[in-house]
Amino acid sequence: MIARIKTRTRETGRFLLDWMEDRTGIVSMTEKFLYEPVPKRGKWLYTLGSATLFLITLQFLTGILLLFYYVPTADNAWDSIYYIMNDAYFGQLIRGIHFWSANALLMVIGLHMVRTFLSASYKAPREMNWVVGVLLILIVTILAFSGYALRWDQEGFYAWEVGVKIASYTPIIGGLAISSLLGGDTAGPATLSRVFALHVWLLPAALAPLIGIHLFLLRKHGEFGAPYEYSERLAALRKRQQMEGLLTEEEEDESTQE
Amino acid sequence: MPEELQKDPLTRGQFLAFGALGTFVGAVMTIPPIVYFLDPAIKDVFQGRSDVPDRWVELGSVFDVPDKKVVTQLVEFTQLQTYDSGQPGVDETGNNKGTIPNAVLLSWKDGKMPELLKSKDKKAKLSKGDIAELTKELNVMSNACAHMGCPTRWTDIEKEIVCPCHGGIYDINGKHTAGPPPHGLWRYDFQIRDDGSMYVRHEFHLKNRDGGKPYVV
Repeated sequence: MIARIKTRTRETGRFLLDWMEDRTGIVSMTEKFLYEPVPKRGKWLYTLGSATLFLITLQFLTGILLLFYYVPTADNAWDSIYYIMNDAYFGQLIRGIHFWSANALLMVIGLHMVRTFLSASYKAPREMNWVVGVLLILIVTILAFSGYALRWDQEGFYAWEVGVKIASYTPIIGGLAISSLLGGDTAGPATLSRVFALHVWLLPAALAPLIGIHLFLLRKHGEFGAPYEYSERLAALRKRQQMEGLLTEEEEDESTQE
Repeated sequence: MPEELQKDPLTRGQFLAFGALGTFVGAVMTIPPIVYFLDPAIKDVFQGRSDVPDRWVELGSVFDVPDKKVVTQLVEFTQLQTYDSGQPGVDETGNNKGTIPNAVLLSWKDGKMPELLKSKDKKAKLSKGDIAELTKELNVMSNACAHMGCPTRWTDIEKEIVCPCHGGIYDINGKHTAGPPPHGLWRYDFQIRDDGSMYVRHEFHLKNRDGGKPYVV
């Protein structure tokens, strides 16, 4: 009886997976994703990109949850954060994950960038992926900074002021940058609305397609230093060494005949 | 023949019309959102409009500014920004519900209270000469650091105005003495009236690269 149930369950599961695979290709895609071959040298360092993607997904999910309580007005923003932290069930957990994963995200992105640089993964034909990656890190940095201001407490408020002041040193458009970032010539309710619009809508909307392009380019060119790339290079190296070796023997023969 | 080489049978007129149409559609799709986003910048930078109406706000009495130290006085300026909708209670009469708090640092020049104040009765009226003398001696400064806009404060022990963010230091007159700020503290435009009350407005004397206004106060 139990054996029959086991068999039936296995068959049903297999049928469902086959059905999904036929229609979406999700099983093979997942397999490819989970068992991505990475160069032996570096190993775990090649998972930093996936870790970044995971953390960004976490940011999206916890950010959406925070929006259920966060009130983006100068009068209520801080109170709503206080409510999330003290009254909402699991509020501390959700906001804690959002906060700490944002910190971890910046660190992991930095490490990912260092790994890419040190393994020379930015070289041809992957230059465009490096450029897209740089844009992504810029967007994530602005996201982190604007998230800081959304708390609308002393720390976040003055951090944004300092940021605006830094932006004001931009040549030519410095004045425009201040008013655009403040929503006027003083910090106030329009400032918070702008920060909110940037953090919750504009920047994530720019981030999502760029992540798609980053992944597409990764799929297109593969991970740098992947086994085939190494084997091709090694084969070419061996061939060259062999030829050089032969040439030397021929030269040696010629010299002995003379 | 060049015309035979042309694969696309597009006439010059069609090409120009296509280009003009593309420019028009592109402009319609991009200019409104950009101008919409830059609205505050256009009003502020090009039209000279401020979020804070040019109005004198009372700060306190000149008799309360102490000797040898700096005091911080909070002042609430009406702030229009998104509040200027014309709704009841949010007009420009001063009862506007939108305000922006500013901390004003007050001190006497070199920390020395003018002699005339020491001998003067608080209820007595100040003459024009008194007002002129006190105006010369009074420092009415913004607490926003001239470096990055962080809030500065007076320390009684060091006898300095210090910025907690990047270590900017100013003397009792708001003159920059150390740290990264490019100049001294911003100074408010102020008035002393005959009853000894001080009034400030959200305008600043110090002229430099940003036109005499602090970026963020």
